[in-house]
Amino acid sequence: MNELHPLTKAIIDGRRKEVPNLVKQCLADGEMAGDIVEKLLVPGMALVGDRFKRNEVFVPEMLMAARAMKEALNILEPSLVAAGVKPEHTAVIGTVEGDLHDIGKNLVAMMWKGANIEVIDLGVNVAPAKFIEAVRLHKPRLVGLSSLLTTTMPAMRTTVKAIRDAGLSVGICVGGAPITHEFAKEIGADGFAIDAGGAVDAAMALLQRKD
Amino acid sequence: MNRDFYLDLAAKGIGMPIGTHLILHEHQDHAAIVQDGYRLGQVVEEAARRFRMPLAFPLMDLRLEKEALLLARGVAPDSVDGYHFAEIPIEEGRFLLTKTMGAVCGAIRHIAENTELIPIGMSIGPFSLMTKLIADPIAPVYLAGTGATRDDDTEVALVEQLLKLALFTIRSYLDAQIEAGAKAIILCEPAANTVYFSPKQLAVSYGVFDRYVMRNNLLLRDQLHRRGVDLIFHDCGELLDGMVQRFASLDPAIISLGSSRLLWEDAALVSKSTVLYGNLPTKQFYSDSLMSEERVRQLSEELICRMREVGHPFVLGSECDILSVPGSERAIMAKVEAFLRTARSKDL
Repeated sequence: MNELHPLTKAIIDGRRKEVPNLVKQCLADGEMAGDIVEKLLVPGMALVGDRFKRNEVFVPEMLMAARAMKEALNILEPSLVAAGVKPEHTAVIGTVEGDLHDIGKNLVAMMWKGANIEVIDLGVNVAPAKFIEAVRLHKPRLVGLSSLLTTTMPAMRTTVKAIRDAGLSVGICVGGAPITHEFAKEIGADGFAIDAGGAVDAAMALLQRKD
Repeated sequence: MNRDFYLDLAAKGIGMPIGTHLILHEHQDHAAIVQDGYRLGQVVEEAARRFRMPLAFPLMDLRLEKEALLLARGVAPDSVDGYHFAEIPIEEGRFLLTKTMGAVCGAIRHIAENTELIPIGMSIGPFSLMTKLIADPIAPVYLAGTGATRDDDTEVALVEQLLKLALFTIRSYLDAQIEAGAKAIILCEPAANTVYFSPKQLAVSYGVFDRYVMRNNLLLRDQLHRRGVDLIFHDCGELLDGMVQRFASLDPAIISLGSSRLLWEDAALVSKSTVLYGNLPTKQFYSDSLMSEERVRQLSEELICRMREVGHPFVLGSECDILSVPGSERAIMAKVEAFLRTARSKDL
């Protein structure tokens, strides 16, 4: 196995405080910001996602890695903007109306960002109209709906229907503790993620399918 | 109460759903009822009678303590749900018994004064309350597990201060419920689980779990014991054996776990003086395709038989509060009745 770059390793280990200097060192060495994201950050998060799926790391480790990645992106952002580098895909995400839980949604947002998807996070308790407004504004390829409570699952169904009724062509991926593959199919969602690790695979499957 | 009371309940082989929410939502004006102690008490009584339980379980609403903590600190009522502390608050002994908490106490009082049922109170646990007060509680808990202290990291300092505020609020609320007549308290720590605590980290040391979860729950247990009130401990999160062992060390009268646990295996981790309660997957009861009535019967029979085999005191019940899901009430109630019939069956 190839030796991992120190920046990639810092991302994987969630060593956020070490990340700024490592990013600055990469830039000083002449690396392009877009290449740092593509070759050092995204593979690091992908490896974390794989380890999560194999139960080698857990939510806290994944979260620490995502925070380290965010630290790197904060430093790289001006260079990325100057170079006109943008993530290939955009996604809108939110927890459905009536549900105030955000940990699962935040983890998925972080994992999607780690997969180089621009994520518009609408927060919690998001009404269907707000999802529709965001889809019209940001023109994402993907919408993520989260629900932790059994009682708010009907709101997920309502949101999917509202997006469909609005005639918006966007892939809808759903997830959350009570959500199952069967329920996702039943309400007309395009994808389902059992956890934050699986959310990247589900997103990529939808993004590629729509291509 | 005498511990034999709970052991006798287990020996009788009854089933007990935590189903007050389900009954409450049969009433058109359920939002008004939760603000009215007497009417809420009638609903709690109705649930106990409908399910033929001697324990009058309260409505499970684990948002009350956050509301009380924030309103006492001047946060606007319409900001409470989404409010997170960004800076370390000053530790102050301020407690406000909110209107909804007052109704819970009123309901307990109704049960205590007007019925033969055992009035039960409820509160979220300090760790779980803390997780609702901060935007990202997982990272600082993880950092604390790596050895970071409040002097090293402001997020760790924030978590530790909020744990103190949470403990104070809960202590005050427990006192109010005990004053109202509660004979047992269900202490709910659903966030003390493997999402918030890394199993990888706990494999090395449970230090952070002991400091952030167990220390405060021990204090609450002692508070209850001093008042002669029993502890019913509930955690429906994903748990490790070490977590279950620690919860069992609180010596609760009843321990209630989520459906991810195999209770007949957990019996080895829990003293025989503690009744194991649960843990049918009631969160799936809304869906006939996920959980049919027949499947509920099978799971109930398996639980009852396996718990008999291991010889541990056991009461068949729900993994958490059985929530009323709009449009699915009949399906849910049918499954609750199915497991109650199975529990009462003499054929098992």
